[in-house]
Parts: sequence; structure tokens; C-alpha cells
Amino acid sequence: MFDEMYSDDAQIRKHYLQVNSWLRTMSSTVISQKNFEAESHFKRIGITFSVKDDDMTERIIPFDLIPRILTNYEWVKIEKGVLQRAKALNSFLHDIYNSGEIFKAGIVPKEIVYKKSSYDQSMINFSPPRKIYSPIIGVDLVRTGKDEFYVLEDNCRTPSGVSYMLENREIMMKMFPDLFHTNRVLRVDDYPTRLLQTLMSLAPKKCDSSIPTVVLLTPGHLNSAYYEHTFLSDQMGIEMVESQDLFVENDLLYMKTVDGPKKIDVVYRRIDDEFLDPLCYNPDSVIGVPGITQVYKTGGVNICSAPGAGIADDKAIYIFVPEMIKFYLGETPILDNVETWRCERDDELTYVLENIEKLVVKEVDGSGGYGMLIGPKSTKDQISEFSTKLKSNPRGYIAQPTLDLSSSPTLIDNEVSGRRVDLRPFCLVGEKIQLCPGGLTRVALNKGSYVVNSSQGGGVKDTWVLAD
Amino acid sequence: MLSRTAENLYWISRYMERAETMARLLDVGYRMSLFPNPKGYHNEWDSVLSAAGAAQGYFTKYNEINQENVEDYIFFDEENPSSVYSCISKARNNALLVRTAFTPEAWVAINKSYKEILELKNKKFTRADLPNFTEWTIQQVNMFRGSANSLLRNDGYHFIFLGTFIERADNSARLLDVKYFVLLPTADYIGGNLDNLQWIILLRSLSSFRAFRWAYDGDVTSTKIAHFFILNNDCSRSLSFCINNIVYHLNCLKCSPDKISDIYSGLKSVHNSVKDETVESIIEYGLHEYVTNFVSKISFLDSQIQNHFFR
Repeated sequence: MFDEMYSDDAQIRKHYLQVNSWLRTMSSTVISQKNFEAESHFKRIGITFSVKDDDMTERIIPFDLIPRILTNYEWVKIEKGVLQRAKALNSFLHDIYNSGEIFKAGIVPKEIVYKKSSYDQSMINFSPPRKIYSPIIGVDLVRTGKDEFYVLEDNCRTPSGVSYMLENREIMMKMFPDLFHTNRVLRVDDYPTRLLQTLMSLAPKKCDSSIPTVVLLTPGHLNSAYYEHTFLSDQMGIEMVESQDLFVENDLLYMKTVDGPKKIDVVYRRIDDEFLDPLCYNPDSVIGVPGITQVYKTGGVNICSAPGAGIADDKAIYIFVPEMIKFYLGETPILDNVETWRCERDDELTYVLENIEKLVVKEVDGSGGYGMLIGPKSTKDQISEFSTKLKSNPRGYIAQPTLDLSSSPTLIDNEVSGRRVDLRPFCLVGEKIQLCPGGLTRVALNKGSYVVNSSQGGGVKDTWVLAD
Repeated sequence: MLSRTAENLYWISRYMERAETMARLLDVGYRMSLFPNPKGYHNEWDSVLSAAGAAQGYFTKYNEINQENVEDYIFFDEENPSSVYSCISKARNNALLVRTAFTPEAWVAINKSYKEILELKNKKFTRADLPNFTEWTIQQVNMFRGSANSLLRNDGYHFIFLGTFIERADNSARLLDVKYFVLLPTADYIGGNLDNLQWIILLRSLSSFRAFRWAYDGDVTSTKIAHFFILNNDCSRSLSFCINNIVYHLNCLKCSPDKISDIYSGLKSVHNSVKDETVESIIEYGLHEYVTNFVSKISFLDSQIQNHFFR
């Protein structure tokens, strides 16, 4: 197992030296006190999430005081790799909704794409501003060795978690200002500004103002990411709207303000495709805006991310991303995919069933760490139950090897102990394409666990990228 | 600013203001209950209930009036839509919906009040705790108002204070109405000290007794008290003061001037009810009639504001 702080010969890695000596100065009383301080801060500002099955309780995600540190050298590779991926994914989306070159070249079978419910047929022959479908991409990375980073999945719809990236940094700077004098940490606090610039650069053709009006569309305060919606709107200084604030007239979208109707140019939507427009998608949606797709198609408004962008982060499409990079960009992929078996193929299903106790099996449409099986961590009963499910619906599953996720020093009962981590950096694609130097590090707080999801005992850390 | 946001801000401050009035009303009842009268002790709880507009709800739940029940009903009861608890929790829910129109301080102030009242609600309390609850509530509301001062002076800020003064005008008028009979000339003659005591307690509960002393020389008389609560522009709870502030905040709104002119009729009628009036003319007209009239004018203005800005 790769350790982020200790090298193989048990030496502290150079970039962790400062943090290590800082850790040694903290008594367990101070640690408890700082933990309490952080927790009350998060509670006070209301950075809470709700858990499935239990959606009325507001919980906070456990925050670990020890930052996860990446050197500039490590970051450069991640940055190049993520930007490359983000470009390829947007090219792919434009291609499959227009000329379909990648099908013609025989690289991606078109049946796979067409059969997916996330493929939006109404988007065929439509091209969004700058041909960008997915302006915010969160790429989930895991590390298994010094130079070994793998992409676990891409999030092309509305990746969440960026508010944690920003709030975690905020609280660290507040509690431990000295740490930021001794370590040169690249700033992340300009992310909201960059996000706003990105969204403004994606104004539709009917926008006649040099300063486009951008809004964030939220499903409402019961949504688990509601805090993030308020946080981002606030930081960008844009209105956070709900469906009842919006209406469509003469192929334009307006919000109801105390001044009367105000035209909207760009909608950063945080609701799913399905609920976007009851006239076009799910007719029962009460959180969508009737007629918004018509406005979108006629260039009256831009919807970010584009309807149908979700096909690009489908687990069945994931395996083709390295091929996409070669096909669209003519480049060699910088970040590798995790080896993946598609259970819909007979030979691969056979392999998966034979080796299931070594593999991680995931639902193609699952998320949040639900509906998955971690072979090495499961009982015989769980395995046989999952095997039955696999056989009855092989198309619904993929399998991957159980990766030996890197471990990062973490405070458990006021003692430092290694826990496994992943990393989700956030890439912005607009007039410019850029990666914010940082991201969300999630940590599996249970000893030996591989599951970093907050709903399943995961916590978060501040993520540092050091300057040269 | 979104109409929905403006509406939520308006109601947040109305609820917070109402929470304060409720807490202060209980304080009136509590202080009265500590003074002996010829028959035993004063029982002010029924007038507290009617001033709080809570009598009907209270009697569907309880048969008799006692401090504990009234206290619980007005402070903590979820079934009472105007209890301090209901007000703070509604204010917090509204705040949750408009977090972007708030500074973090303003949100933290409301969220903290809510978390604390949840705890208070679940604790066993004794009669002697009542003044503490009142004090706590006033502190929370002050914290909210103070934090609202950190807001950008945009329409949101003015909608918050518009809500505050509409609510306060309404509350002050209702308070006057419950006690109006003590201010009648005949009652003054009959009542003497006893009735003055009621008003002095009211003044104290509104943290206005010292202010009153500064503002008027000599004895506490019904005319002075009526003047203080209706026409005195320096008294922060007087009808006149509230109206001046309503006018001020409406004029500050950056929305289109036609919208303001739309609600001009409502505003003018409210404004006329204090302009050029004297205490004597009001008493001659009938204090009760005057106050009832005022409450309905405020409610008309409120509906105009709602229709023109929030719909």
C-alpha cells in the first residue's frame, strides 16, 4: 500500500515534513479542541448533507485536520491528464449527438450509446455554445503508487463537493494560519470566480449583453447538496432560483424579480435531466421549468451542463475514454483507467464470476457507494447473492480489480493512523479550460475500508497542492 | 432580486419581530402576576393571550388559565403559529431558502437561535425561568437585527426592515387595543394608580420606561402614554415611528418607481392616520376605533406590498 506521508523505508516524505512536525506539537487536548471547533463551525454554517433512507436528518461530514498534500510535480501530471480527459469527453459528446465519427471509425459501438437512457435523442443535431456540453467535470482519482494515478470515474453532469474543497481550506486557514506560512499552498478560493467566468463564456447566441445573466437552478432545500447550491450562488453573486421563480415567454427564459421579469442567459442547473422540463422529459416534474428546452434549442438560454451530457460519465462509456483521447486529440492518455470488465460480455462475465472475491462489482447506474460489492470485504452470502444478481442482469454491472488505494495520515481518536483516500479535482471548461489546484480528498475513516463515500463512513480533508 | 427572495426576507423579519413581541408580552403578564391586588394577585394572563391573538387557540387546548400553560403555549407550542418557537423556526426555514441573500453572520444568528430554542424547548423549566426566556428571545432578535446591518444596502436589506416595521406597527397597535380602556378619560379618573401600574409595567416590558421618563416631564398620564405609543416620533415602538420607517424603506427600494406608486394609496392612508393627529382628536374619535382602523390599514398596505413585489 502506498503511503502519502511515509516512503517505503519509513522516512517522512519531504513535502510532509512541516506538517509532521506541526502534528507533533499538538497535544491530544489541542486536537480535541480543534476538532470541536471545526465541527461547530461546520454545524453553524450549516454545511450538512442528508443520507439516503434517512433524508430528514442533517449531518455533517467528519473533517480530518491533517491535510492531504500533493507536490507540484505530482499535480502537473494530474492537471495535464484531467484537462486532456475533459476535452476528449466534450468532443465525444458533440460527436455522438452530431456526425458520429467515433461510431463510423468502429471505436465505440453505437448500440451501447443509443441504448442508454442518459443518451438524449432530443439533443441530436444540436450544438450548444462553444460545443461544450459539460463545463464542470469532477474526475475521481485514486493512487496506488508513486506515479500511479487511476481514474475511477468521470462526473460530467453536476459534480458536487466543491463547497467542501473551499470550506475545508477556509477552516484550516482560520485554525492553523501558521501552517500556511511554512507551506506554500496554491490558492483555491478563486474557484467561484473562475466558475462564473466559465459560465459567462458560455452565453447563448441570443444573449445581447456583455455581462450575461447567470443563475443557479436548485431543486430546493431538501436536496442533499443544497448547501453547496447556496454557497456557490453566494460566492458567485448570482441568483439561486427554483422552478417557481422562472417562466418562459416568446422563446426566452425569465425570472420573477421585484423589478419585474428579468431575462436569463445561462442556467447552471443542479437538477437532473429528467426533471428539467415537464414538457420535454418527465411530465410529473415539479422542480423543472415548462418550455425551457425550447428556449435552449432556439438559442435563448444555455443550460449547463447540457441535457444528455450524462452519457459521457456512464460506467459503460468509461472504458472507451482512453480510446476517445487518441481518437479526438491524437494524444496518448496521461491518466490510466482502471481495468474494467463488462459483465454484458459473456467471456468477461465468466471471468468476473470466477474471480468475484477479488473484484469490486458496481452497478452501471449506481452512485454514492450504494449497490456495489467489494469482493475481499464481503461474506460468502453477500457474494452468492451478488452473483445471482449478476447472472440475471449482466448488462447492469461492471467489475474492477480491488485497488490498493493509497493511505494518508489521519487523526483517529486523536492518534495519527493511515486511512485510504481518493481525490476529486474540479475541471472547468469554457472559453478557457482549467483545473483548480486542489480538490476534494475523501477518506475512508473505518480501518482498512476502501469506501470513501460520506454516506458510508467517509470523511474529508483539505487538499493541498504545493507551489514549486 | 427574486420576488421569492424578497418575500422570504420580508417574512423572516416579521417572524423575528413577532417573536420579540410575544416574549415581551409574557414579561408583562409575569410582572403583573407579582403585584398584589385587593383580591389576591393580578391575573393578566387573559389579556396577554388576547394581545397575542392566541386566546382562541389556547382555549381549544386548555380549559383554564395558568402561567405554566400560557408560558408554554406562547413560548414553545408548535401548534401556536405565533409562539416564539414557531416564529423562530419559520424564520429559520425562510432563511434556509434565501441564504444567498444573507450574509453568513445573519444566517448564523438565525440558525443559532433555532438550535438553542430546540434545546430550551426540551428542558424542564420553572416559573422563575420566564424572565430568562424573554431576555434570551430579545437577545436573539437583537442579534438578528444587528447582523442584518452587515447586509449590502440593496433591496433585500430594505425588505427586511419593511417587514420589521410593518410587523411592529401591527403589534404595537394590537397591544394598545388590549389596554385601550385604561387610557380612557373616565378610566383614568376611576382607575388612578392601579391603571397607571399596568401601563408602567407595559412600558418596562417594552424597555421603554426610562425613555418615557426622558421624553415627558411630570406624572404618568394616559394622554402622555397614548402620545408616546401613537404619535411620538422618537419612540421606536410608536405607530408614527413605524410608519416613518415604512415610508423610508419603501422609498429606498431600487425597484421601478411605478411599483412604489402602485402602493401609494395604501401608504397614504396609513400615513394620514398619524399625520396632523393629536391625542385629543384620537381619543375623541374613539381610541378603540382608531386602533382597529389602523390595524386594517396596515393589513391593506401589507397586502399591497405582497401583490406588487412578491407576485
